[in-house]
Amino acid sequence: MHLCALLALILLVSPAPGQGADSDAFPDIEKHSVADLQEATRVLEEEVKLAGRSQAYLRVDLVARAIEIKARGVTLHRLPLSEWTASAIEQMGKTFRLNVRPAVVRRKIDPSSTAEQEPIALTDMPTQYTLSFTPALRVEIGPDSQDGALRWARWYGARWWRKLEWWAGSIVSWQPAPIEPSLELILSVEQAQSLAWSLVDGMALVVRRPTDK
Amino acid sequence: MARMLLGIALTASALLVVTVPQSSQLHASIAPVLEDAPEDPALLPGLQDRYTHLSRKLSQLAPRQAYILVDTARNHLYVKRNGQILLDAIASTGSGTILDKPGESQDQWIFDTPRGEFVVQSKLTNPVWMKPDWAFIEEGLAVPRNPADRVEPGVLGEYALGFGKGYFIHGTLYPRLLGKSVTHGCIRLNDDDLKRVYQLARVGTPILIF
Repeated sequence: MHLCALLALILLVSPAPGQGADSDAFPDIEKHSVADLQEATRVLEEEVKLAGRSQAYLRVDLVARAIEIKARGVTLHRLPLSEWTASAIEQMGKTFRLNVRPAVVRRKIDPSSTAEQEPIALTDMPTQYTLSFTPALRVEIGPDSQDGALRWARWYGARWWRKLEWWAGSIVSWQPAPIEPSLELILSVEQAQSLAWSLVDGMALVVRRPTDK
Repeated sequence: MARMLLGIALTASALLVVTVPQSSQLHASIAPVLEDAPEDPALLPGLQDRYTHLSRKLSQLAPRQAYILVDTARNHLYVKRNGQILLDAIASTGSGTILDKPGESQDQWIFDTPRGEFVVQSKLTNPVWMKPDWAFIEEGLAVPRNPADRVEPGVLGEYALGFGKGYFIHGTLYPRLLGKSVTHGCIRLNDDDLKRVYQLARVGTPILIF
């Protein structure tokens, strides 16, 4: 009888699957930093809302340098970031929704043709692209310099052009143009294509921002 | 016009100045951080509790039972439970191709595997395929009026798991195409993996597709 009571007590006290030691959402967090905890709890509050729905969502973790494709709070796939930069990062403390996923050229089936139709492959996906979100957030996905000098040079050329346009606009109007929140995320070619493949119109995105000085 | 000229001039000057960064700089993030805010140590215990509570709450939203995870980019199907992989199978998923619907309308079929969260709605043994309209049109054939002409046994394998709107996890007559995106939206597996998924999944088992 005592043994049964003891077993029942152990069952009650022991964590259920999915709980316990593995339920630390950010293993890299500094638990004695108020700022770190404030940011982490903000992200978790957003995630708890998103994980209750039936769609996958993105968590861009600038601290851990990764984009995570998640659903039900579970990480389905992790894409490491080589580099990132951000503008107006203080405006990124909310959930954003992807307006449109990157365009894909789909092949049309010709019933009169006997030739085998080529399906879409991961390699058909773009390697550098811009994602627009609501509320206003622009995410530029760019290639890693190790994935080809030409590709990288094109990306950096476009990046500098955007900056020059902003400066030129400020000079012409004699006042600084408003800085809109934007992220530049550098991924390997394969990871950039993988991200483009997995995006869905309306997909939610949350950003975990660094707080260290 | 003035803006464009100014832009060109600035570009030219910037190109003279900009050189390729060192590799160490390439991988260093330019990290604008959040606004400096005074840290009140009195907030710490409350925040720590809140963090632990939310972490646990998020982990509790994860499927408690075994679930099916489908990676359409890499054509893999996994069965997982509590972070453990019970099955890792090569699959075939939607080809992403399009087919015009007959008639004057601009409608099209898009052969994508749907993304998001689903559940196993049905488990079938020895399923029979009722060929839909697109299967005939794709082959340049007329759509039959008699439903009996749509019946095609033996092409879906020994088992099928339905997850809604006509989508199934089923077998294949073309195992050489596993690992490629060649289907009309369904998820194909080889006979052994299909049998294992059938054994591990129940009606209600979550299916996460990305």
